[in-house]
Amino acid sequence: MFYLRYLRSELVGRRTRTILTLVGLALGVALVITISGLARGLDRAQKTALNPLSTIGTDLTVTLSPQQDTGGFGRGGGGQVVQANQSAVTDLSKLGKPGTQFVHDFFLPGTQLTFPQKQTAKIASLPGVAAVSNGLVLSAVHQEGVVPKIVAKIKTGGQQLDIRRQIKPPTAAEAAAIQACFQKLGVGGGAQPGGQPGGQPGFGGGGRTGGGFDSPAARKCLPARMREFRARITTPEQTLKQVVSPPQTNIKSSSYTIGGIDPAQQSIGLVTPSQLSRGRFFSKAGGREALVSSAYAKRKSLKLGSKLDLNGTTFKIVGLVRPPLGGQTADVYIPLAQLQKLASQSGLANVVLVRATSSSDVATVQKEIEQALGSGAQVASAKQVTASINGSLVDAANLSHDLGLVLAIIAAVAAFLVAALLTLSSIGKRVREIGTLKAMGWSQRLVVRQVLGECLATGVAGGLVGVALGVLVAAAIGAFGPSLSASSTTGAAGANDVLGLGQALARTASTSVSLTAPLSLSLIFFGFALALVGGLIAGGAGALRAARLRPADALRQME
Amino acid sequence: MTDDLLYDIRNATRSFRRGDATVNALGAVDLTIEHGEIVALVGPSGSGKTTLLQLLGALDRPTSGQVFFEGRDLNTLGDNDLADLRLRAFGFVFQTFNLIPTLNALQNVEAKLAPTGLPESDLRARSLALLDEVGLSDRADHLPSQLSGGEQQRVAIARALSTEPRVVLADEPTGNLDSRTGTEVVDLLTSLSEERGHTVILVTHDPEIAAKAHRSIRMQDGRLLEPTLA
Repeated sequence: MFYLRYLRSELVGRRTRTILTLVGLALGVALVITISGLARGLDRAQKTALNPLSTIGTDLTVTLSPQQDTGGFGRGGGGQVVQANQSAVTDLSKLGKPGTQFVHDFFLPGTQLTFPQKQTAKIASLPGVAAVSNGLVLSAVHQEGVVPKIVAKIKTGGQQLDIRRQIKPPTAAEAAAIQACFQKLGVGGGAQPGGQPGGQPGFGGGGRTGGGFDSPAARKCLPARMREFRARITTPEQTLKQVVSPPQTNIKSSSYTIGGIDPAQQSIGLVTPSQLSRGRFFSKAGGREALVSSAYAKRKSLKLGSKLDLNGTTFKIVGLVRPPLGGQTADVYIPLAQLQKLASQSGLANVVLVRATSSSDVATVQKEIEQALGSGAQVASAKQVTASINGSLVDAANLSHDLGLVLAIIAAVAAFLVAALLTLSSIGKRVREIGTLKAMGWSQRLVVRQVLGECLATGVAGGLVGVALGVLVAAAIGAFGPSLSASSTTGAAGANDVLGLGQALARTASTSVSLTAPLSLSLIFFGFALALVGGLIAGGAGALRAARLRPADALRQME
Repeated sequence: MTDDLLYDIRNATRSFRRGDATVNALGAVDLTIEHGEIVALVGPSGSGKTTLLQLLGALDRPTSGQVFFEGRDLNTLGDNDLADLRLRAFGFVFQTFNLIPTLNALQNVEAKLAPTGLPESDLRARSLALLDEVGLSDRADHLPSQLSGGEQQRVAIARALSTEPRVVLADEPTGNLDSRTGTEVVDLLTSLSEERGHTVILVTHDPEIAAKAHRSIRMQDGRLLEPTLA
């Protein structure tokens, strides 16, 4: 058909113009598709990561922070923080005999204080409350190693003692007897027991060969008191000091967060079956089963069916979960009763999850709970929880929220304008040709149809190239795009920090989401249609304007 | 009005607005043209020749007065009727040839014939026959840019004649050609038109070209001077 051949000749003949229009349209379409895809990706990430409460069937969370005054919701009082966390102090003597291996987990509520579980009934009875669930979220410190043995070495002995004592000399009779005995024994040769005028009798002289005064026989010559010397000696007092080195130990500590869930309530809780990524949820009976967050499982190489030993109680991992951010996130979840028992927190909880009967009641219910529970109770709505989350994902989501729509509109308008301007400019250069066609007898309708046909062909080709380009860019973003992170910290007492424990016991949960630009058929169609419609509207308007000119005017314009 | 009367122009004027001023391109023209005539419109630039030709070819409407073609007042016809008239009754030849640059010689001729609804095969055969008549059958697949000025104008003549129009209107057809080629082109145009019994109205500066017409109409300042029989 002539008109199709004409159309083809126009597109091929004016190659540069066609390619320029096509590239302009393609870039516009690709831009719309990519930006909208990105906005969609961020939106999706935001819904999963930044809208934490709705995914666990919760509108409000109620926690208890330490207060300086007593009274109110819980036990209150700044001292409670210390009391609640006293098991943090490691008493080595309780871990076992020195030198034996030990494994122990300490469970601490941090500054998110516990309160009696029965308090929940108070919340449940408030009007507008549809469901409540207790939770216990604790910071756990896992320690294992050998109980240290302390050995002190003290060295004593090796001292020399000098004793000096005056011995009573023999009487004259004794001296004579001794002399006689010696002579009898032949000890001392011609020696005479010495005597000095006016002095004490003594021994003098030497001995002769074959015997002496020291011989046992000669010793018998001495009186009994002189044969043996006895004395009581008291050595001087002294203090021995020994520096004892610190005991060698191989104790390793690691911390994680553990949450207790009421397995009977599966529609509302710290995690619900909707967060399961693998395995199954707790059985309603709540046996020794554990759920582990996917991130923690990966870090610790835990799998479905793995065993967790918590202070002698073995839990079997039955499911992997992706818990929502927002404060009440944990690495490990076990049935509430089990955790209470392990952590010696029987009958206690430290978070209540509340669902209102309708979303419009949330604000009212929040106020009611605050009034009913008094000071100390912190009631956070989904919005407030979301606000506590930060990280690059939040920045990107905010950016997307603030700019995404504007960018998408700008891209759409740009694509539309590019299509329109290129088409209009192309028609503007063809006014004389259109005048010639009219002079040859082409009707207005025929001229417009021909130009529209060209616009349609360019639009379809540009749209297809743009879609391909957009899909490629979106895929590239998915493959090489940055990861966005979001984190949320709870347990820190903030302004009410007591004894500086808040910072130390704060729990931070984080998640990372890969930036993707998911596309949908409708999105692709939208981008495609935009370029096509832009081209057709502009083409139609331009062609109509040119075709409505009197042929004489059209011919004159370019001459 | 006799049966031979093709055009009857009565007191036709055409003025244009240029900013605040009104330019009278044509002032109160009265003119008749008969079937089969070859008429030359001569005069200096700006004398209103092209404006008059455009009124005759239904490319424009008069500001006042009437243009009767075959007894029909062109002012009373709508845009579609005028388009149809241009398709079947008129054939145009322009000074700058006005061929569609992206179409080859054959397609340029087909472009005029296509709106008549002729079947595709007839379209091609008839266009080829016309190119043959103007001596360009071997250049049918050449683009205008690959043809000389004379060849382009011959394609334009084949195009103008393709729908067997009653009138061929040529606006300075030799204006962009050297004098020898110009003479050849006008000879071709007049001879083919005479063979077919077409009326030819051509605008020219060239007295030699004007001399080939049955009648020369001299114009100045938008008015006709004395009509001259060739």
